[in-house]
Parts: sequence; structure tokens; C-alpha cells
Amino acid sequence: MIEFHLDPRSGVSPYLQIVQQVRQALLLGLLSEGDQLPTVKQVVAKVAINPNTVLKAYRELEHEGLVAAKPGVGTFVTRTLGQASLTDHEPLRLDLVAWLERARAAGLTEAGIEALFQSTFRTTAEEER
Amino acid sequence: MIWLAWRQFRTQALVAALIVAAAAVYLLITGTQLRHAYTADLVSCQSPNAQYSCFGLMNQLQSDYSGPQYLAEFLVMAAPALIGIFWGAPMIAGELERGTHYMAWNQSVTRTRWLAVKLTGTALAALITAGLLSLLLTWWASPLDTVAGNRWGTRVFNARDITPLGYALFAFALGVTLGLLIRRTVPAMAATLAIFLAVQVLVTVVVRPNLLPATTASVPVNRTSMSQAVRFDRADADTGPVRIDLPTPSGSWALSQSYALTSDGRPVQTARVLNCWRLLLSQAGEGKQGSPDFGPLGACLAPLDLHVDLTYQPVGRYWPMQWIETGLYAVLAALLAAACFRRMRRLRG
Amino acid sequence: MTAILEAHALGMRYGRRDALADCTLNLPPGHVVGLVGPNGAGKSTLLKLACGMLNPTSGSISVLGDTPGSGAGQLARVGFLAQDAPVYGNLSVADHLRLGAHLNPRWDQGFAQRRIAALELDPSQKAGKLSGGQRAQLALTVAAGKKPELLILDEPVASLDPLARREFLRHLMESVAENGTSVILSSHLISDLERVCDYLIVLVSSHVRLAGEVDHVMAAHHRIVCTRRDPGALPPGLDVVSAEHTDRQSTFVVCADAPLPAGDWAAESLSMEDLVLTYLEATEPGARSAAQASETASNMEAGR
Repeated sequence: MIEFHLDPRSGVSPYLQIVQQVRQALLLGLLSEGDQLPTVKQVVAKVAINPNTVLKAYRELEHEGLVAAKPGVGTFVTRTLGQASLTDHEPLRLDLVAWLERARAAGLTEAGIEALFQSTFRTTAEEER
Repeated sequence: MIWLAWRQFRTQALVAALIVAAAAVYLLITGTQLRHAYTADLVSCQSPNAQYSCFGLMNQLQSDYSGPQYLAEFLVMAAPALIGIFWGAPMIAGELERGTHYMAWNQSVTRTRWLAVKLTGTALAALITAGLLSLLLTWWASPLDTVAGNRWGTRVFNARDITPLGYALFAFALGVTLGLLIRRTVPAMAATLAIFLAVQVLVTVVVRPNLLPATTASVPVNRTSMSQAVRFDRADADTGPVRIDLPTPSGSWALSQSYALTSDGRPVQTARVLNCWRLLLSQAGEGKQGSPDFGPLGACLAPLDLHVDLTYQPVGRYWPMQWIETGLYAVLAALLAAACFRRMRRLRG
Repeated sequence: MTAILEAHALGMRYGRRDALADCTLNLPPGHVVGLVGPNGAGKSTLLKLACGMLNPTSGSISVLGDTPGSGAGQLARVGFLAQDAPVYGNLSVADHLRLGAHLNPRWDQGFAQRRIAALELDPSQKAGKLSGGQRAQLALTVAAGKKPELLILDEPVASLDPLARREFLRHLMESVAENGTSVILSSHLISDLERVCDYLIVLVSSHVRLAGEVDHVMAAHHRIVCTRRDPGALPPGLDVVSAEHTDRQSTFVVCADAPLPAGDWAAESLSMEDLVLTYLEATEPGARSAAQASETASNMEAGR
């Protein structure tokens, strides 16, 4: 059974952190198809967070097709994100490598690259919402 | 709710039970001794060749048992005050002081019901405690009270029969109310003691004599009445008044007496009685209870047509006044309780 | 759905001082409501009014559709935990559970005993000998054991060490998850509120400055950094909560009904702590309209 943790300083809202941690667990192979996610009660008993946060995260994961809720039983994984999915996105990865080379050539430090990436990522994520 | 009321009262109930039990043991033992001594003394002083007079033996009996009597009377008079201080004052003040009222008053029980159960239960315990103590003392002291012939003294009226019940109820209600108003236990205890004592003194001294209209009797000054006189006081100055201490009927409560008055209601001047006084000064005889026999003086004064106005409560008034005073205290207690209920409903933090 | 708490112009006045003034709230059920504000702002007063310990001097309040404290039925539905978790010092832990059982018709003794066992409390231990954290947990067990629909907690963790605080919040959230209890929780530790609250009320100087669902409130507020200018020079539809200026730069915290238009500024969202602090420091008029705006935003989003 996986465990969640909350990073209050990450700037990412709590429910998104849970979504990310589930995705991470799937990527790392900690969760496979058919595994049960911890119940809302189990999560909040370990991590003192609002149960609605967990519900929202699980709904989001369901929306993405990663999990399915069985009423009265629990929430179960329906699809994995194995290493295979990373290789599916090889073109994206090559684009990213090229962009990074251009960024370094333009004189951006590592910190600068990270800052630019984070703020653009967040801005576009907000716009999507 | 009854469980909670009992659980919180447990220790206090235990202490009271122990005290009452100890008092009972003490009074039962000494009371039996007292009764034996009393009957023995009566037999001996009433027999044909008695060595001592009944008057003397009874006096001796009274002084022999005065220690235990004071002790027991003090306990019975102190009990209501103790109930008010230790059962009444902490009831609400203790909860407010420690913040436990936040727990008590947020269960599925209204504040009114909480107060009703606690008040009723503890009041009942107060009545039983005061009642048992009073019963024990009334039984224990009955020989001595008979000897004294009079049940109106403060240590008797306040510590026999039913008045302690009224005092206990009132002191308890007073303690609870002061606790609610003052919100801190120790100051509430002090205030309860002070106010209770003040009320007791006020009622005993000022209110009790007037609970029922007193009887006034006009006793003419003559040989018969004067032979019962206890004292005769003339003033130093010729114009001063004359005091004659005449007894009120047996068992009554003497409230006041006037000076010796002439037929038009004014105090007689000493000058007018001086002749009789000097005439009979030499003729002292054995009178009532060791005082001189003023009978002849009375005969001498009879032509002056004097009288003394005595104001008293007759002996038959004892029980009605017990009931009225107890009722008075009970009504005060009820009013205080009602005030508490009202105040509880409009709390302001 | 009945609001868990509805207040209209609620006020509490002591002599000449207003402990609470002109408080209007409509709290939806199923939330953990955080009440935050400086000491003396009126948080305790509001919570005591909500559980019927106080009667208001002006305005009205209803909790779960009823006057607070108005009868055994209403009292059974609302649990209250006072500041510093007062318990009966000479009653044992088990006695406290008996208290709950005897005084509440809906008391769940099994739940209470499981909770006590999970906390590893000795049932025969006198409550006066418990540590602060254990007392808080005991008081929470007594308040939650009657299965209330609403739990009101007045700074329950203020005097606890971090571990005890975290354990308390965990157990509180477990109760919420298990029973669907609504919670109103006051605190001045914003980090705790960030974890557990999904509805926020900011109370400053006896007035409500902000009230709304956390998601909407956070999304509606932005920090704007731009060249020095007047608040009036900002586009319409932006309520300025606070404004700070240096000789070259202005920093505004604004509240917007709609998504922020594009402009010559850098805009970012605020952390809950910064947001609350902004309101704590803000002057009155601006704060009031921002509060109204966030109410509007949350009302609009919820489609009420």
C-alpha cells in the first residue's frame, strides 16, 4: 500500500500533489493494475489533510482513466504508466534536449532554466484551468 | 445526568456521611448516658428524704453536659453553612473556573436540565444531612430542654426540629447563586459564609420576634405577682424609673417588658416606691430559685396601682414559628434557585 | 442543503466593546472551515455563539437550521471543544466516556473505546494526569463520540507540541472521513489550516474580512508587481486588497471575479499564509469589498 506525503511549501495544491504521487507510483512500478489505493480514511489518518482533498485527487485520477472507484469496496488502479510510456514520447524528449541546448547557448544558468520552466509551466497550467 | 451528578458529588457525600455517622455514634452514646443520669436524678430529688433539691441537681446535670451540648449545637448550626460553602459555592463556580462547563454544557443535555438535576439531588442530600443531625440533637437534648423549660434560645430554636432544614436549603441555594455570579470558587465560598451569617443574625434577632404578633400582658404589681418576681431594680435618682423582672408564662419567649407603670401608663418614679423598698429591705426571705421573696414588697406597693407590660411569644407559638421561619428560608432558597435558572439561560461568556 | 452555520449581522457587545460586529456568514456543510485571525479578533466569541454558550446582543445565528443550544436535540448534533481542552481532572478517562454515554443518546461507545485504545490511554488514569496532547485527544473523543453533524473546535492545538498537534489533526480528519462531520476550527497556525481546511474565514478586529472556499479564494487572489502606479490605474473588476509602493515599483494584492486580464505586470498566486497576512494587515474598506468579491466568486463557481 502506498503512502502519501504533503509538501506545504511546494506551491502545488494538495490534491495535485496526491495525483502526482499516484502517477509517480505508477511510473516507478509501485502500483500495478488491480492494486487498491488507500481509502480516504486511511490516507487522512496518516496524513492530516482534508478528506475532500483526497476525494478530489481520486476523482481527477479517475477522470484521467488511471483508476476506477468501486462503491463500497475502494478505488483500484486500471492502467499503468510503465517505462514504455516514456519511450512513447521520444520526439518530445528530443525537442526538450534541443531547447535545453538553445537555453544554455543563450546564457541561462541552470537555476535560470528551472525558473523559466517553472513559471511558464505554472502559468500555462492555470490558463488551462 | 443523574450518573454525572452523583459521580461529581460522591466525595462530598462520603464526607458528610462520615461526619453524620460519627456524630450519631457520639450522640447516641452520650445521649443514653444523659437519659440515665436524668432519670436517676429525678428519682432521687423527688424522694421523701432527698439530699439535694431538684433545682440543684438539674443545674448540675445541665452544667455536666454543657460541653457536649455546645459541641453538638455548634455542629448542627454550622452544618448549613458548611453545606453552602462546600456543596453550593463550587457547584457552578468550579465548572466555570476550570472551563469544564464547556464540556458539561455541550452534551445532549440542556443547561436547564443540568442545573435542575444537580440542584435537586444536592438539595435532597442537604435536607437529609441537616435533618439527620437535627433529629439526633433534638432527641439527645430533650431532657436538657425539658429542664430549661424553654425552647426559644438561639442555640435551641436554630438547632432543633425543622429550622436546620430551612437553613440548609437556603445556604445551599445561596452558595450556588453566588458561585454563578462570582464565577470563582474561593471568593464565592467566602461570600456565602458572610451573607449566610448576616441573614441568620438578621432573621434570629430582628425578624423572628415579629413572625407572629406577640402577646402583651399587663401584670398588676401585688403580693401574688411580686412573689414570682426575679429582680427589683430602682434607679439611683429619685426621678428614675423602676424595673421589675416578672416572669412570663412558663415556656414562653420573653421579648420585652416595660418599666413599672402607673395606671396612666407612665413609668413610676423611684421616689414613690422608696418607702416600701426601705421597709422591706430587712425582710429578705427565700423566694423563687434563690432570689429574695418580693411578695411583701408587692403587698406594700399594691395600693399604688402599678402594672408591668410584658410582651412575649407564648409557648404554643413554638411550632408555628418553626414552620414559618423554615418556610421563609425555603422561599428564599426557591427564589435564589429561580434566579439561577434565569441567569443560566442568558450567559455572557 | 442546510448550511451548517448562518449568521446575519451577528454581533456581541460587552459594555462598550464589540467582541464581534456585523458578522454575516453562510457556511456550506461537508467542509472543514478554518477560522483565523489575531488574538482578540472575536474567534472564540463566534464559536461560543455557534454552540449556544453565549447569546448574541445583535443579529441572529442559526446552526444546522436551529438556534444554538436550543434543546437536547440541537445539542446532540453539535460537538464543542474549548481552548486548552478542559477535562474533569479527577474523573478518569473511562469516566469521561461514561459521561458521554450517559449524557448523549447517540453515543458510540465502541468508537470511543477504539479511539482510546488507539491512543494508548489508560482508562483508569485520572484525566488531570494526562499530558496536554492526551487531554486534547480525550476531549476530542468525548466531543466526537456522540456522532455530531458539526464539530466546533476553539484553538484546540494552540498549546500542543508539533507531534501532538499532528496526531490531533490526524484523528480529527479520520473522524471527518468516517462520519462526514463538518468542522469549524479556529487557529492562528496557518500551516495547520492549510492542510486541513477547505473553507476559510478571516476575522480581524471583530469583523469578517474574508469568507469563502479555499480553492476559489486562492484562485481569485493574485499578487501583481508592476511599475509604480495608483490602484485606480488597474483595470476595472479588480478589488485591491493591499497596495505597497516603492519609488519605482508597486505591489498589489487583488481579488478578481474573472480570470486576470493580460497586462504589463508580473502576476502570481499567493500562499494561504501570505493571503491571510495580507488581510490581517489590510485597512477596512478595501478588505470588505474583497470579501464580498470572494463570496461572489465562490457563489458563482458553485452555481448557487
